[in-house]
Amino acid sequence: MALDFSIILRFQEALLLGLWMTVKLTLICIVLGCSLGFFIGLARTSRSALLRAVSSVYVEFFRGTPVLVQLFWIFFCLPLILGVELSNLTSGVIALTLYMGAITSETFRASLKSIGPEQLDACVALGLPRRVQVTNVILPQAVLRAVPTLLSNCVSLFKESALVSAVGMADLMFVGQNISNNTARPIEVLTVVALIYFLIAFPLTRAVTLVERRVLTKLAI
Amino acid sequence: MGYSFDFQSVSFGPLWEGLMVTLELTVAANIIGVVLGFPLALLIMSRFAPVRLPAMLFVEFFRCTPAIVQIVWFFYCVPMLFNVFLGSMTMGILALGLNLMAFNAEAYRAAIQAVPREQLDAGIALGLNPLQRTLYIVLPTAVRASIPVLLTNGIGIFQQTALVAIVAVQDLMYQAKTLATETYRPIETFTLVALVYFAVSFPVSQVVGYLERRRQLMMS
Repeated sequence: MALDFSIILRFQEALLLGLWMTVKLTLICIVLGCSLGFFIGLARTSRSALLRAVSSVYVEFFRGTPVLVQLFWIFFCLPLILGVELSNLTSGVIALTLYMGAITSETFRASLKSIGPEQLDACVALGLPRRVQVTNVILPQAVLRAVPTLLSNCVSLFKESALVSAVGMADLMFVGQNISNNTARPIEVLTVVALIYFLIAFPLTRAVTLVERRVLTKLAI
Repeated sequence: MGYSFDFQSVSFGPLWEGLMVTLELTVAANIIGVVLGFPLALLIMSRFAPVRLPAMLFVEFFRCTPAIVQIVWFFYCVPMLFNVFLGSMTMGILALGLNLMAFNAEAYRAAIQAVPREQLDAGIALGLNPLQRTLYIVLPTAVRASIPVLLTNGIGIFQQTALVAIVAVQDLMYQAKTLATETYRPIETFTLVALVYFAVSFPVSQVVGYLERRRQLMMS
């Protein structure tokens, strides 16, 4: 069969709209998810047993179930439980933010843990107050160490965002599938969709490696 | 809220069958991924660019595109491109297996690079040829070092199997979708199914955590 990639050009605008939805969704959920993840990461190392238990259950549950199931649950069950209609975008944002919060909390937790006890000892020896210990010693290092993993979490989120097509949100994947079904040209359309995802995710993963190296030299470890 | 729960109308038969399909997909994809991931890792570390570049492209492509795109692509395009028509189960296993292969190859590569240089030098000193060095020195050390990541990837693919529901393979997620629509009981069905996925993933992730802690203790 003859492949005809020029067909893509006819649907350029639709694909770009879909891509914009994917990017928008990803960016919103990166901001919300990272903030949520930071607090959950702190909650998991908190002294309060209740806070630890609640945050652990949340994180383990979201890491232990498929994102697709989470999405379906939030799209079909949450409106029933809350008794309100949620727009597609709201549901998508809620689902992916909760997912992102769970994975980034692990990143923050690991980076908090990686700060050696000798640093705290040094703080004590220098007589630094607790607030200065946290804001000037622990936090900058923890965030710096978390950056490469956070970046790769963002790439994961970008890829997982394609799942919202399964619940009918008009993202890049959804638009691509629609075009491919209507034109009966899945090879051209789906390949181009895959390439678009690749062209965004691949440079990002390279950036992760670069940033990782720079962070490592900066921390001199 | 005025919702009354009714778990009675959720029939377990189809869900059980779905779970079996999901587990079958997981095990088969893991066999492909664990076995073929290692040679793929050797290819991406090859010194010859014509070998290394295609292998790297393969790995990066699977790692940098959404799994759902890969699965839909596989189901629609492979039969048209290669004129082969396989059962949907076989297609699902192949798509997931290739995906896992790429991720496992990265895990093996990291582990292979962590094999201490001295061990290879010792192998050369003992007069082992490259194949023997790979089989007797690199393989056992690297495989042992990569077990936690392989397990994590394996459980990842268990969760990714839910995606085949979109291309109508009758796995756990597919049965859940059907059941939720038939019985108008989405909350009960999807909660139950989420718990089933969780009940399988969670113990494995605990084992991974245990293995990693033990490894850290051994290293320190």
